[in-house]
Amino acid sequence: MRGASQAKWVVAAVAVALAATACGSGGSSDNSAGSNDSSAVDPNGVFSYQSGEPQRPLQPANAMENQGGRIVKQLFMGLVDYDPATGALRNQVADKIETTDAKHYTVTLKSGWTFHDGTPVTSKSFVDSWNWSANPANNQINSDWFSDIAGYDAVHPEKGDPTAKEMSGLKVVDETHFTIDLTSPVSYFTYKLGYSSFYPLPEGFFKDPAGYGEKPVGNGPYKFKSWEHNKAITLEAYDKYQGTNKAKNGGIIFRNYTAGEAAYKDLMSDTLDVLDQVDPTDLPKYKDDLGKRAVDQPQGAIQNISFALYNQEWNAPGKEKVRQGLSMAIDRETITKTVLNGNRQPADAFVAPGVMGYKAGTCGDACKFDPAKAKQLIQDGGGVPGNKITILYNSDGGHKEWVDAVCNSIRQNTGVECLGDPKPDFKTSRDLVTKKQVPSMMRTGWVQDYPLNANFLRDVYGTGAAANDAGYSSPEFDKLTKEADAATSVEKTAELYQQAEAVLAKDMPAIPLWYYKTSSGYSKNVQNVKFDSFGNPVYTDVEVKKK
Amino acid sequence: MPDLTEKKDAGQIPSPREGAAAAAVAKPEKARSLGSDAWHDLRRRPIFVISALLILLLVVIAIAPGLFTSVDPRAGDLRAHYLGKPDYTNFFQADWFGYDIQGRSIYARVIYGARASVVVGICVTVGVTIVGGLTGMIAGYFGGWVDTIISRLTDVFFGIPLLLGSLVILNAFTSRTVWSVVFALVALGWTQMTRVMRGSVITIKQADFVTAAKALGAGTGRIMFRHILPNAIAPVIVVATIALGGYIALEATLSWLGIGLQDPTISWGIDISSAQKSIRTAPFALFFPAGMLSLTVLAFIMLGDAVRDALDPKLR
Repeated sequence: MRGASQAKWVVAAVAVALAATACGSGGSSDNSAGSNDSSAVDPNGVFSYQSGEPQRPLQPANAMENQGGRIVKQLFMGLVDYDPATGALRNQVADKIETTDAKHYTVTLKSGWTFHDGTPVTSKSFVDSWNWSANPANNQINSDWFSDIAGYDAVHPEKGDPTAKEMSGLKVVDETHFTIDLTSPVSYFTYKLGYSSFYPLPEGFFKDPAGYGEKPVGNGPYKFKSWEHNKAITLEAYDKYQGTNKAKNGGIIFRNYTAGEAAYKDLMSDTLDVLDQVDPTDLPKYKDDLGKRAVDQPQGAIQNISFALYNQEWNAPGKEKVRQGLSMAIDRETITKTVLNGNRQPADAFVAPGVMGYKAGTCGDACKFDPAKAKQLIQDGGGVPGNKITILYNSDGGHKEWVDAVCNSIRQNTGVECLGDPKPDFKTSRDLVTKKQVPSMMRTGWVQDYPLNANFLRDVYGTGAAANDAGYSSPEFDKLTKEADAATSVEKTAELYQQAEAVLAKDMPAIPLWYYKTSSGYSKNVQNVKFDSFGNPVYTDVEVKKK
Repeated sequence: MPDLTEKKDAGQIPSPREGAAAAAVAKPEKARSLGSDAWHDLRRRPIFVISALLILLLVVIAIAPGLFTSVDPRAGDLRAHYLGKPDYTNFFQADWFGYDIQGRSIYARVIYGARASVVVGICVTVGVTIVGGLTGMIAGYFGGWVDTIISRLTDVFFGIPLLLGSLVILNAFTSRTVWSVVFALVALGWTQMTRVMRGSVITIKQADFVTAAKALGAGTGRIMFRHILPNAIAPVIVVATIALGGYIALEATLSWLGIGLQDPTISWGIDISSAQKSIRTAPFALFFPAGMLSLTVLAFIMLGDAVRDALDPKLR
């Protein structure tokens, strides 16, 4: 590895020299944006990114929302992470993670990793971090990510006071070895380890967590530089970074924008370098505006409309035919192409593509547009209750257009009256959904936590799962997911989950509509901008052009 | 100074109104009431004629939209007509004004959208006139503590901004129809009418014919409704006519904000709101509902102006 990185430095040095000699000719920066001109890359160049003010301190298990989450992910690096192109797991701080029964894991760390303050990353950095984050006294929003680990109940009981401070399932063996014991086998646990909750923390953190939340010290490709509240957060490349994804640029400025239109205008004038997401107003034209600098990529997220199965009239035997029929009455192809500006991809499964275990066409005929069959199925199933459905959604998220289009599609193809039921904001609509007060249908969506199909299935359709908004409960589905969780390899788990997915296609607790795509763009100052399945750019790969 | 002489000459020619007045004097049996005098005056004014014709057309559209288009305003064909361009030569057909983001005929939607606007405008105006007129008359006629209570109550309601207040009221409705919007606007809009009516009644109350009626032993109800009301109502009618256009605009505003009318009711406000997102690619989707709204509001405001000129003797 050392040889490789040295070779890279030689190339960079030559590049710098070439760029320096080329400077005199002038006008070389007018190159077309799409071409990768390595001679003009400035390894210390800083680029700006459209972001927002993080809601919470920058602590690993506290960053659920995107604004803080994307910054924490650059500041820290866990045992493993996901390859941005394929979603495959790759070792970072971990040298290897071994298990024979998917219940007991032994982790071996690489040596040489350091935090930005110079202290080494050891087994203790991980174990202390996880115990601290799981502790309810520290009020970390993602603390339930540790619930698979033995002893979590004692540290973070659902009710009452904790009886322990440390999870019994975590044991430090030596500087570079520690063991993890789970309460029951979870074959894809290593997959979960890539999530930000499992990042290590330096020793200094535990003396002043609040201060470190303002000025975080991590072990990731970038180190923290400054945080001007409500304006910008600046990171700079960490030159002693040991991971495979060393930064190809000098740093990132996360600049706050409250209006997407403003960010887009700044991008057009090259004062902002990388856009987070093109705002809906500019979507129809952004590809024309940006040309090769426009980004249009699939994302690990799906949009569904779910049935309120807790209402008996929707859950009666035979109604699954009605639910399938409604799904077949929706012309996904046309709606994604027109109303959604080609910014979505029609769904053919309950799992998003680019995710491990995604199998094309699991939804089968039920996700294909067929008005005649749709009518027939609805009739066979005894018709839609009241011959009317309403689709609950939040009107602050740009959903109105497609909800109306879906309703038009259903009404015109089946004769069932369909109306959108907008609620003014996300919270109001979410409250009704979680209180199970939706009359017939609701908008639901799922963005992956980790790129494995289990995350799209068990966490959304399992009996009693937190995100099971439909109130779906199938013994067959639960049995299959349990078997899948008990498998000893991730591959086997993914395969068994595909069987569980087939049960969903039969029962249709929700109608998969389409997958999200990342619609973004970048300025003339940068190149090599790619996005991963989470919809985040691969920050470390961004190359800043010489001015 | 030829200009001056010309003006003088012009001044000597009796205007139609003066001519009419002279005629009325000449033939006392043809004496006209304030109402018929106003009507006589109105129908000679081009502004009134134009706005009245426009409003008549709108009312006909609102009552029988099927006469103007046979297209279903809710039927959309995304495949064929997504943001379809207008064909301006194809009069009164589905594609005359083009198609909106759901592939629905904008012409059909503009026609069907008139009903909600006209119904809201007229019902709110009638509602505020009745509520405001009654409270204003009671306050003005009885005076004293009754007046104090009603006036303070009016002040309280007057302090609530109409738009903000209706947002709050409409938020309480789970499903909103034309009637919930009418309710919200009447509940908050009556104060203006109360104030106008009260002022008008206080002036009329002191007139000799009221004293005469009292002296003859007429009851309170008779004095209020037979003697005061017909003479005090004119300013209320003027204010109400002008306000009507405002109520239509307000309904569109509320619908635009997503808190007014809802699907399946068709409203220009809803259409304006959904068209603004495609303003760069399909400006016509915004132009036609917005243009119809402006035209309607303008027609009512022009009518109100004409009526005011006719009814208010001070402006003559």
